[in-house]
Amino acid sequence: MKPLHIALIVLAAIGLATVISLYGNTTQYVSFYEAAQFSEEHPNKEYHVVCQLDKSKPLEYNAQEDANKLVFYAIDSLGNTCRVIYGKPKPQDMERSEKLVLIGKHRAGDFYATDILSKCPSKYEDAPVQVGQVQ
Amino acid sequence: MKSIEFAGEWLWLGNLGHAAVILTFATALLAVFAFFKASKEGTSTYYDWGKRFFLAHSFGVLSIVAVLFFLIFFHRFEYYYVWRHSSLALPTHYMISCFWEGQEGSFLLWMFWNAAIGLVLLRKQTDFKAPVMAIMAFAQVALSSMLLGIEWGSFHLGSSPFELLRVERPDFLQIPILGSIGIGNYLQVITDGNGLNPLLQNYWMVIHPPTLFFGFATAVVPFAYSVAALWKGGQNRSWIRPALIWSLVCVGILGLGIIMGGYWAYESLNFGGYWAWDPVENASLMPWLLMAAAAHMLLIAKSTGRHLFSAHLLIQLSFWLVLYATFLTRSGILGEASVHSFTDLGLSGQLLLFLLAFIGLSYWAAVQSKTLRSAIAYALLALLVLIPLVSMAIPESWEAHFTSIIKWAGIVLFALTLVGFIQALLKETKDDVATEDKVSSREFWMFLGSMFLILSLVQVFFATSIPVFNKLFGFKTAVPQEADYNRVQLWLAMPIMVLMAMGHWFRFRETPLEVWVKGLLKTVGLSLSLSVLLAWALDIYNLGYLLFLFASVYLISANAWYALEKKKKSWLNHGSSVAHIGFGVLLLGVLISSVNQRIITQSAGIGLAPEMDANGQMDAKGIEFNRENAILYKDRQGQASNYGVTYMGQRKGTGFDSINEYFLLNFVDTLTGDSFQLQPMTQNNPKMGLLAEPDTRHFLSKDIFTHVSYQSSMDKPEPFAGFKQDTLRMGETFTTSSAKLALRLDSFSSYPTAEGLVVQLKMACSNIGFSESPTEAYRYVYPQFKINTASGAFESAPVESDELGLYVSIQHMKILDPNPKAENLEFVIQTGEKKPVIPYVVVKSIEFPWINAVWAGTVLMVLGFAMTIARRLKEQRELLA
Repeated sequence: MKPLHIALIVLAAIGLATVISLYGNTTQYVSFYEAAQFSEEHPNKEYHVVCQLDKSKPLEYNAQEDANKLVFYAIDSLGNTCRVIYGKPKPQDMERSEKLVLIGKHRAGDFYATDILSKCPSKYEDAPVQVGQVQ
Repeated sequence: MKSIEFAGEWLWLGNLGHAAVILTFATALLAVFAFFKASKEGTSTYYDWGKRFFLAHSFGVLSIVAVLFFLIFFHRFEYYYVWRHSSLALPTHYMISCFWEGQEGSFLLWMFWNAAIGLVLLRKQTDFKAPVMAIMAFAQVALSSMLLGIEWGSFHLGSSPFELLRVERPDFLQIPILGSIGIGNYLQVITDGNGLNPLLQNYWMVIHPPTLFFGFATAVVPFAYSVAALWKGGQNRSWIRPALIWSLVCVGILGLGIIMGGYWAYESLNFGGYWAWDPVENASLMPWLLMAAAAHMLLIAKSTGRHLFSAHLLIQLSFWLVLYATFLTRSGILGEASVHSFTDLGLSGQLLLFLLAFIGLSYWAAVQSKTLRSAIAYALLALLVLIPLVSMAIPESWEAHFTSIIKWAGIVLFALTLVGFIQALLKETKDDVATEDKVSSREFWMFLGSMFLILSLVQVFFATSIPVFNKLFGFKTAVPQEADYNRVQLWLAMPIMVLMAMGHWFRFRETPLEVWVKGLLKTVGLSLSLSVLLAWALDIYNLGYLLFLFASVYLISANAWYALEKKKKSWLNHGSSVAHIGFGVLLLGVLISSVNQRIITQSAGIGLAPEMDANGQMDAKGIEFNRENAILYKDRQGQASNYGVTYMGQRKGTGFDSINEYFLLNFVDTLTGDSFQLQPMTQNNPKMGLLAEPDTRHFLSKDIFTHVSYQSSMDKPEPFAGFKQDTLRMGETFTTSSAKLALRLDSFSSYPTAEGLVVQLKMACSNIGFSESPTEAYRYVYPQFKINTASGAFESAPVESDELGLYVSIQHMKILDPNPKAENLEFVIQTGEKKPVIPYVVVKSIEFPWINAVWAGTVLMVLGFAMTIARRLKEQRELLA
């Protein structure tokens, strides 16, 4: 064995370990039901739930009471609703969003989100027709 | 059908642009052919023709650029690109950003740089000029086809920046008002453009994209040299020097472009930092990592003639990654994964095809057997021609059945090509793999360092490509978070830094034992003591961070020592030391500013939620939330760690800036007594909703970064209640229905306007009555009404103050005496009230210690690259002279 070959074998092993650990640590996009199940098995892993804001239920954010707490309801792709608790101020485009990705853990019936990605429909797309004044 | 005449359109300009696009595409194709013939036959006739075609091509590129700029500057909104990306109000320097906000513009920018580089290469007389230019021209064929904008049914070939608005958005011709003025006059109602994304209205967005695209463009040159060398075969090594110089240019410029992007994110985005492992950032980091490794391989190849296999492989992989990055960011595949997510123009197929075509080209050049070469060439041609033809021919209803077959055929084909390429490359460079580096040689450690760069790339590649794998194999894997990257990259950066520190203390081929042992011992000793001191000063005790700290200090001090100790012929020869030191300073800055950053607004806060315990944690359920944001009431000082912060009020921007609202925050450092103001802003953008932009105060040793997360005006306003009417004259007082506020009618003024007479009252307002409160404690309100002179209509303009919780409206004015004196007037005034709202703002502030090291390190690194490039250019000149 030459030193270079040993080094290459070690490097390949590290590379493989890196990729395996990467995929070992990733989670899936799940429903609220799955998030609840998985959170029981792996309480410290964070899950991603693709959902929509449930506009029929109240969205509570009172900055004067607690600027770091937002409580709202969301509907996942299977149509199940879950209460979501988020430890940060209300995202600015929350109500406009057509889709939310919640990242967090499920505990005792609630989803605790550490991050919310909201996708707004018009953000990168064309504006609707806007009519100016006829000159 | 009668054709409609559209008035006011400058169609000739668009036609000129279209013609220029076709010219650039056609001349690039012709140049490929001529240069290909020239490199096959070695005659200068074909080469001269190729040169002419390339010159014509460059002229075409310049013309497209000029026409597009002209259209943007003159606000020709009949062109979709201009309407989509610009507006009347944009200042000139942002009009430049409009140019490359869209996909077509950024391809154009890339093409522009490629053409410029091609012109530089044409002036150089190297052995490989014809094949290199053939590949440069081939890259231009690919890029210019992205602008063609040809459509046959579902098949698109490129997207033209000169498409008309009424073609792209036929709904504009349906605007109801056009019925009265005629559809042909639609331009009269298109008075303004859609505008530039406000997040991109930043100084750095004017210079970051050109820098980044220049970096991307330079990556094609080492690729072209490497392919040319393989294509021509044989032992001619003269390609290594120019490839080395261009790879250094690429690493320097691309690195600068990447950090500029990070600086933009830090200045204009709210995530609080300059690097988030966003797929778009990763997309440009990936080719950079490989090009840095490739440059070192070329350096070894130049000095020892070895490691040609790795040099070729890394250069080519790096360029493939540039194309892959383009595919990732431009195909829309990243969708959920990125905050950027560029719009999909339906060209992802075309982008994928180019990636495959260039990989095929690499394979073709690496294979030496003539028969296999022609087989690959025909397969490639068939691929480029057949796929679009087939995609046109297949009816859409069939597509579903074909997709999976095509997908798997593509994956197998891709894997075979890759294996074939590596095998061919190994065969071509096998004499070089058989020999071996000595452990005491510089090349051994350089090689090892490059391998660690590749490991770093492997992690970034597999993590960033997750959306691609999801799409290909139907997985549902979630996108990795920042922490998933940091956890691995922290450890991979350490060996890279240590090897960058050691490398210079070894000599090429072999180093006497005592020389390198002495070099290593003294530098390790110095860095160990320095890192202990630094760790103590910075309070860093975590093992991983400590090792990282040592590695970066070692990288800086070992290279600094080397540069000071070794006398070189020219100061330019210290370029690599300077670049290495810069990289070390950058990573040291990254470590300190990340590990020691403090969210100064973090606190236990008021009004804990039932889910949280007294410390603001959710221990019972194992979930912790850091309470990162603080609420600041107007004019009351709040505390954020060692800073007293007061929200002083807000102001509107002026002119172009007028949709921005700036929040004035006064910071007082209670330790030093220093004070400063920050003005984070929010923008209620009619098209994008509410956006917030941070403001950062830069000190030498730290930055204070602050952004607004929420503001009281975003609360749903409570309605006024307790309405009550009073009749009063000058000087009289009355109270609101709950008697919380007392009001006094102080004075009266009126002024005529075009529509009528405006009357304004000045009313003093006090919450403890007028007898007790001192005069300066009054607040004044100014209700108005207007009497229309023509119709005599009475129109009240009430005062609605959330801050006072007061509504005042003048219902009626009665003139008691024809003598027009204020005392003879009587007013009927309606008041309403609600709980007063104190304006507040919710902010998050972060202190980044020594973040300036990140920028300073970048500057040093770029300086180092410039020195090295200057040195290599000088060497080459001396060699040729």
